[in-house]
Amino acid sequence: MEKNLLEVKNLKKYFSTPHGLLHAVDNVTFNIEKGKTIGIVGESGCGKSTLGKTLMRLHTPTSGQVLYKGTDIASMPIKEFKKNYRSHIQMIFQDPYASLDPRMSVLQLVEEPIRVNNRKLSRAEVSSKAREMMELVGLAKRLENSYPHELDGGRRQRIGIARALSLNPEFIVCDEPVSALDVSIQAQILNLLQDLQEQRGLTYMFITHDMSVVKHISDDIAVMYLGQMIEKCPADEIFRDTIHPYSQALLSAIPIPDVHARHDRMVLKGELTSPINPKPCCRFAARCPYATDKCRAEEPMLRELKPNHQVACHYAEKFVK
Amino acid sequence: MGERILDVKDLVIHYETDEEVVEAVNKINLTLERGEILGLVGETGAGKTTTALGIMRLLPDKVGHVIQGHILFEGEDLLGKSEREMRSIRGKKISMIFQDPMTALNPVKTVGDQIAEVVELHNHCSKAEALKRAQEMLAMVGIVPERYREYPHQFSGGMKQRIVIAIALACEPDLLIADEPTTALDVTIQAQILDMMRKLQRENGTSMILITHDLGVVAEMCDHCAVMYAGEIVEFGRTEQVFDNPKHPYTQALYQSIPSLDKDVHRLHVIPGMVCDPSNLPEHCSFCDRCTKKNENCAKHDPWIVDVEKGHYAKCFQYTPEWEGSAAAAGEE
Repeated sequence: MEKNLLEVKNLKKYFSTPHGLLHAVDNVTFNIEKGKTIGIVGESGCGKSTLGKTLMRLHTPTSGQVLYKGTDIASMPIKEFKKNYRSHIQMIFQDPYASLDPRMSVLQLVEEPIRVNNRKLSRAEVSSKAREMMELVGLAKRLENSYPHELDGGRRQRIGIARALSLNPEFIVCDEPVSALDVSIQAQILNLLQDLQEQRGLTYMFITHDMSVVKHISDDIAVMYLGQMIEKCPADEIFRDTIHPYSQALLSAIPIPDVHARHDRMVLKGELTSPINPKPCCRFAARCPYATDKCRAEEPMLRELKPNHQVACHYAEKFVK
Repeated sequence: MGERILDVKDLVIHYETDEEVVEAVNKINLTLERGEILGLVGETGAGKTTTALGIMRLLPDKVGHVIQGHILFEGEDLLGKSEREMRSIRGKKISMIFQDPMTALNPVKTVGDQIAEVVELHNHCSKAEALKRAQEMLAMVGIVPERYREYPHQFSGGMKQRIVIAIALACEPDLLIADEPTTALDVTIQAQILDMMRKLQRENGTSMILITHDLGVVAEMCDHCAVMYAGEIVEFGRTEQVFDNPKHPYTQALYQSIPSLDKDVHRLHVIPGMVCDPSNLPEHCSFCDRCTKKNENCAKHDPWIVDVEKGHYAKCFQYTPEWEGSAAAAGEE
């Protein structure tokens, strides 16, 4: 039995813009073990969502491989992918207010993916499967005929989860599933996702910008900056032993809900540089307080510093505690 | 001790439509000393923004009504002011930063003009002087002043929020109301904006009301903190008091539902049930259906605000002298 459900190798996704090539995802390599959760963190515009959508083949990769159980799903014709693999890989979208058709009732929304992907099922079978899904995610039966606008964010996100789960996927890309929700609702949804993972052995890729959420739910965490993966390590290690200067800055920027924890933070100057036609240098060099000429001339590669802990920084050794 | 700049007393705000009356803010009391930062926390629909709009007298026409209460700003009741008088207060004495910087700016005017507009109006100065002030303001919020001729779309999200802050602070207001100023921004940019706001507060002595749902932001920024639930302030105190020793069951539950960075918990705590419908608020405690500590009294009467320690209040029966007796009685039955 393969240990890795998904192996991503040198995946690239470039978009052409009037100003040049936008490197949205650049040379990303990582593996996801079956039944585990990988958290992807980074600021807006760093390519987190593009990475998720490229794995789903919602974007066609520019180059690179995505091996799903050993088969390359990145280069196969989209028709074949849709027929054989789309139901294995599903996605939960960020905004439950925008990702649901306002003119469909809850039951219709959950039925839709089942109906589209199993043309042979009768109406009654589709409905009964949809009801089963609603029960699984904790949507009361009385809500069947309600419309999305009548429901709160947490319930709407449950519809999104039911839709993703209805095809019995093995791998789910969760793109900021709790960012639009209040903390008390966020806790409900995170617990639900964890329960489903335990019951069904699901594998998640969890995209978020919230470090405390990602730490709670992930086994491994990968930090992205301008399309590149700059650090990847087990979830508990990133808080104990952050190596890359960007990850350190990202962590120190989080406000901690404890009045005694007022800490010295490392405030980054400036903002993300443009990912259009980037120069071959460390992409963080312009904002990095430790940057040297080497950083501005040469691109650092992701390398293994200790077991399971990879960092892309020329001076990574200096930052190891 | 500083003087009191803002004193909100028994404020009640309703939104009235043909179908229903939404009780958005119910009898809240707030005080703010000069130079302090007050944090207003709560979930969506708790009435945080409505309170702010009420203070600014910017409630939507015809629908939003202040039913009762007083808003004393520097000793004068804002509710008694005419619209004309209010216009000279807004932007000059009290400014507001709105949640979404992307939509708060006018896309067809240069940012310099947008900052200068406020200055020209309130300081009755020439356009040239106002533009000079606009450039000073841009420099203060960390944007190259030469960019004053550019339009909002030429700036990034974090910079747009700085411009909104520059507009709000151009006339050096005494009170700044910031409604989720950093919610739409990334954490690294949020850190920059919060640092800047703290610096402004230290240097200019501006008082602030900071509306947020992020308890982390409150812990870092605020002197006092008020927790809102269903249009009421359920807990109020110094930030250390509220954070170290939360008294109201809602505040306690809210803490437990945040994933922690330094503790490992397998499952997060969930507050059972839902926020009650603001168009149909119960007569009794509005949190009692979700409360783990309730007794039979809670479902009958509305609790009053109790002093739990000096300067720390909670709206809960637990802290009344009668609680022990009635809890014991409930145990015997």
